[in-house]
Amino acid sequence: MRQVRAQGGRAAWPVALGLAGILCQVGFVFLIARLLATILGFPGGGFGELAAAGALALLGAALSMTQEMAQQAAGERARASIRAALFTRLMELGPADPRGVGEKATLLVDRVEALDGFFARWVPAAALAILGPAAVILIVAQFDGTSALVLAVMGLLVPVAMALTGIGAAVESRKQLDVLGRLSGRFVDRLRGLSTLVQFNRAEDEARALGAAADEFRQRTLRVLRVAFLSSAALELLAGFTLGYLAWRHGMLLAPQVTDPTPALFCILAVPVFFLPLRNFSQAYHEAMSARGAAAELAPLLEAPAATGLLLEEVPPRVALVFDKVELTYPGMDRPALPRLTFALAPGETLMLVGPSGAGKSSVLRLLMGFAAPSAGRIAINGEDVTRLKPAELRRLSAYVGQRAHLFGGTIRENIRLARPDATDAEVQRAAESARVMAFAAHLPQGLDTEVGEGGFGLSGGQAQRVALARAFLRDSPLVLLDEPTASLDPGTEAEVMEAIARLCTGRTAIIATHSPQLMGLSGRVIELAGQRRVEQHVG
Amino acid sequence: MWADLNRVLKLWGTRRKALAWGLVIGMLSALSGVALLALAGKGVAAGAGGIGLVGVSALIWLRPVVLIRPLLRWWERMASHAAAFQALADTRVWFFRRLAERMPAGIGLRGSGDLLGRVISDVEALDRLYLGGLMPAAAALAVVAAIALLLGAEPVLMLLLVLPLGLALILPLVLAPAAARAAQRAADERGGLRAAAVDPVTGLEDTLAANAEGRALARLQRADATLMAAQREVSVRSAAAGTAGTLLTQVAVLAALGWGLLTGSAGAAMAVLALFLAIAAAEALGLMPRAGALMAGAAASARRLFEAADTKPPVEEPANPAPLPTGNDLVLSHVTFGWRADAAPVLEGLDLTLKAGERVAILGPSGAGKSSLAALLLKFAAPQSGVIRLGGTDIQDLASAELRQRIVCLSQNARLFDVSIAENLRLAAPGAPDAALWRALAKAGVAEFVRSLPEGLETRCGEGGTRFSGGEARRIALARALLPPAAILILDEPTVGLDAEAERAFMATLATATEGRSLLIITHELTGAEPLDRVLRLAGGNLLPATG
Repeated sequence: MRQVRAQGGRAAWPVALGLAGILCQVGFVFLIARLLATILGFPGGGFGELAAAGALALLGAALSMTQEMAQQAAGERARASIRAALFTRLMELGPADPRGVGEKATLLVDRVEALDGFFARWVPAAALAILGPAAVILIVAQFDGTSALVLAVMGLLVPVAMALTGIGAAVESRKQLDVLGRLSGRFVDRLRGLSTLVQFNRAEDEARALGAAADEFRQRTLRVLRVAFLSSAALELLAGFTLGYLAWRHGMLLAPQVTDPTPALFCILAVPVFFLPLRNFSQAYHEAMSARGAAAELAPLLEAPAATGLLLEEVPPRVALVFDKVELTYPGMDRPALPRLTFALAPGETLMLVGPSGAGKSSVLRLLMGFAAPSAGRIAINGEDVTRLKPAELRRLSAYVGQRAHLFGGTIRENIRLARPDATDAEVQRAAESARVMAFAAHLPQGLDTEVGEGGFGLSGGQAQRVALARAFLRDSPLVLLDEPTASLDPGTEAEVMEAIARLCTGRTAIIATHSPQLMGLSGRVIELAGQRRVEQHVG
Repeated sequence: MWADLNRVLKLWGTRRKALAWGLVIGMLSALSGVALLALAGKGVAAGAGGIGLVGVSALIWLRPVVLIRPLLRWWERMASHAAAFQALADTRVWFFRRLAERMPAGIGLRGSGDLLGRVISDVEALDRLYLGGLMPAAAALAVVAAIALLLGAEPVLMLLLVLPLGLALILPLVLAPAAARAAQRAADERGGLRAAAVDPVTGLEDTLAANAEGRALARLQRADATLMAAQREVSVRSAAAGTAGTLLTQVAVLAALGWGLLTGSAGAAMAVLALFLAIAAAEALGLMPRAGALMAGAAASARRLFEAADTKPPVEEPANPAPLPTGNDLVLSHVTFGWRADAAPVLEGLDLTLKAGERVAILGPSGAGKSSLAALLLKFAAPQSGVIRLGGTDIQDLASAELRQRIVCLSQNARLFDVSIAENLRLAAPGAPDAALWRALAKAGVAEFVRSLPEGLETRCGEGGTRFSGGEARRIALARALLPPAAILILDEPTVGLDAEAERAFMATLATATEGRSLLIITHELTGAEPLDRVLRLAGGNLLPATG
C-alpha cells in the first residue's frame, strides 16, 4: 500500500481542474437563480445573464474534459511503474515462488488494472469531496448562514454514514477477492486441461461445478454490495433531507418577508452541486475498496527487499565446480529432495547424473541455476561460493535445458536467439543445425521463421526439446546443464542429437541428468543418485 | 455491434424476468429523483413568488419522496446487480460448454493466456451491457417521457426541453460504433498484455536460463504502453461523450429560462416547472452518453467471446448417433490427415487393424503423426479422407461421449488438476471406491509414493501436477487412464519421464493391467518388456511392420 500511496501525489493537477469546474457550476446555478427570479417578476437579469450562463457551461465542459484526461494520464503512469516492479519481483523469485501461472498472470494484469480506479478516480475524487463542498458552503454562507450550516452538517454526516457501511464492506470485500482468485484459478486450470476433461466425458460435470462456483461468487458479491449500496442510499437520504429542509425553509419560513428570491433559489439549486463531488466520491469509494484488496495482495511482493548479491565481472572461460555435502530440502517437505552430495568437477569435465526419478538429479541442476539455494553444504565455482552471487549472475555461467522446454510466442528463430540476443543469423542457423532443428524446420512452410504458439503447440515435445537444445548451442557458455535432454526424442534423432551434445560438451564443464545409463557415447564421470543416501561414483 | 449485443441478450433469455424487474425499479428510482427536485423547486419558487397554496402542496408531497427515494435507489442497485450476476454466471458456463465442444483437443495456437483473458475479463465486462447500458437508458427514457407528459400543455416549451434531452438520449447510439471499435482495440491489447505476461511466466525457467528477464520486461512494457494508448482513446471518447451529455442538459435548462424570459409572467409557473425538470433530468441523462461507450465495451467483449465460442467444431456430432457396436475391432482404412491445410499431411493413406484384445505398438520419430492418430481415434479431429470403424461402425456415426467410454487415451499432455489425487482419479471413474483407486495406482507403480505422502490420496496436485516430479505426475495420470473399464486403451508415450527400470516394470505389468483390453502403445522406443502382439513403424504417413 505504501508503494501504491507514493503514486498519489500525481493527482494535484486533476484536483485543481476539478475545483475550477465546481466553481463554474456554482456560477452557472447562481445565474439561473437570478434569471428564475426575473421570470417570477422580480427585477434582475435578462438575456445578458443567459449568455453568460451559456459561456460558463462551455467553460465547465472544457474543464471537465481536461480533468478526465489528466486523471487518465496519472492512472497510466502509476499502473506502468507498479506493473514493471511486480514483474521484476516475480522474475527474481523465480521457480521458487509457489504461485501458479494463472495466479501470477492475474496479479500482473488484472490486479494492477484494478488499481487504476484508485489513481485515476479515487485520489482526485477524495480531494474534491472535501474541497468542492467546502467551496459551495463558503459561497452559500454569503447569502444565508443557516443554509450553509445545514449543508456543512449534512456534508460531515456523509463520511460518517460511509464509514459505518464501509467497514462491513471492507471485510466482505477481502473475502470476495479470495473467492474471485480461486474462481479464476479454477477456470484457468480447467481450460488448460480441457482435453483431459473431454476424454473422460466430464466437461459437462465441470461446467455445472463452475456454475455452482460462480453462484457462490455471486452470493458473496451480493452480500458485499448489500452493505456497500447502503452507503449510496444513505447519501440519497442526506441529499433528499437537505433539499427538503432548505425547500421548507425558503419556501415557507422565509418566503413572506423576502424581497428578492434569488438567494433562496440559489440555495436550492446549489444542493445538487454540493452533493455531486460527494456522489463521485461514493462511487470511487467502491473502486478504492477493490483497489485496496488488490493492493493488499500486491504489497507483500512489492515491499519485499530486492534480491542482493555480487555481480559477475565477466564470464570465466572455464569453470571448476565443487559440491561439498550439499543438501536441498524444499519448504514443507519432510525429506530432502537432494540428500548430501559431494563431488568435484575439473574444467572441461562431463558428469552424468543417473538414477530413478525423484532421486535429486534435477535438484543438482536447479541449485546451479540459482532456482533454489542449498539448505546445507557449499557449492563453489572456481573456488567462490555461488550463494554470494546474485542468482541472475550465476545463470550467466550456464546454458540450461530443462525437462519441459517452453517455446515462447514468436518464430523458431526468435526462440533460439533468446539465448543470445546479439547472435547473427548465421550463428542461429548453425545452432539450429547442431541441435537438428533444421531436420524438421526445413519442412515447415516458413522454415526457421515459422511462428510457434505459446506452449509450443504445433511442434511435438521432441521438436520443442531440440529448439531448447539449439538455445544451449547458441549460448556458448562455460557450464552446460542438461536435464533429460533426449527424453522425448526417438532413437534416430536421439543418436544425432547425442552426437551434437558431445560436441557441445567438449571443452566445457557439463552436467547431464539422465535416465538412460547407456548415455550414449559420452565419456565422463557417472554418479548414480539412488534412493535416499547412497552415492556411488563410477568412471564411464 | 448490435448483433453481438442482441445475441448476449438471447443468452440471458432465462433471466429475462429478473432483468426486466431491475429495469422497472431503475425507472421508478429515476422518476423519484426528478420528483424530488421538481417539488422542492416548485415549493420555493411558489413561496417566493407568492403563489402560496401550490407551494404548500408541493412541499407536503416532498416529504414522502425524500424517504422513498433512497429506498428505491438501494432496491434498484440490488435488483439490477443480482440479475446481472445471474446472467453472467450463465454466460460463463455456456462459454465453457461451447469450448469443450469446439476445442476438445485443448486450446491451440491462439495462446492460452489470451484466450483465458477473454473468458475471465470479457465475461465480467458483459455486465456493463446491462448495468452501464440498459439501466441508464431505461431510466433516461422514463425521465424524458415524464417530462414530455408534464409539459404537454405548452408544446413549444416541451419541444425546447425534449429536443436536447432526447438528443442526449440518442447520442450514445450515434457514438457507439466508433467507441465499440476503440473498445475492441483496448480489449485486444489487454489480451496482448496478458500474453506478454503469461509467456515468460509459463516458461519461467527458460526465461531465467537465458537471462532474458530484461527483455521480457521490455516486451511487457511495450504491451503495456500499447494497451494504455488504446485505453486513452476509449477514455477520450467517453469523456467527450460525457461532456456532450452535460452540455445538452444545460442547453435544456437555458432553453427553459429563455422561454420563461420571452413569455413573461403568464408562463412563469410552467417555466419554473420546466427549469427544475431539466435540472433534475441532468442526473439520469448525464449517465447516458457514457452508456454508449460502456455498451460498446460490452459488445467488444461479446464479439471476442463469440469468436472463440464459434470456432467450428473439429468433428460434427451425428444427428442420430448409431448404437455403440458390440465388437471392439478397430479398423482404419486409407486415412489421410493433416493439422494444417498449408502443410503436408502427417498421415497419408494409413491402414491399421487393431483386433479386440490385441496389443500393438506404433513406433515412429517425434513429429511423425503418432499423436494425431490418437486424436483421430478420440474424435478430437476428423480425417480429411478415409474411414475409421469400431466394431464395423464408422466412428463418425457414433456419439463422441460413448466412443470415449470405449476408447481411453493417456495423451502426452494429460493434465492433473489442482484438486486432490483422489478427485483427479475419480474424473475417470466417478464414485469409484478408494480400493479401486489404490489398485490403479499400484498398477501404475505409484501407490507406494502416494502412500508416503502425509495426506495420501487427499494430497493436492497443484496446477498441472506441479507439486510432484514429472515422473510421479505422469504415473498418477497413467493410473487415471487405467481406471475406467474401457475396451481400448491408447497410451501415447506412457513412460515419458520414467526411469528405465520403472519403465520396464510398468510395461511388464501392462499384461495384467490391461487384461482383456485392446492396447495401442504409441512410443518412440520399446524397452523389450512390452507384452506385444505386433510392432508397427510409422514412417512417411503410413504404417509398416517393424523389422527386428
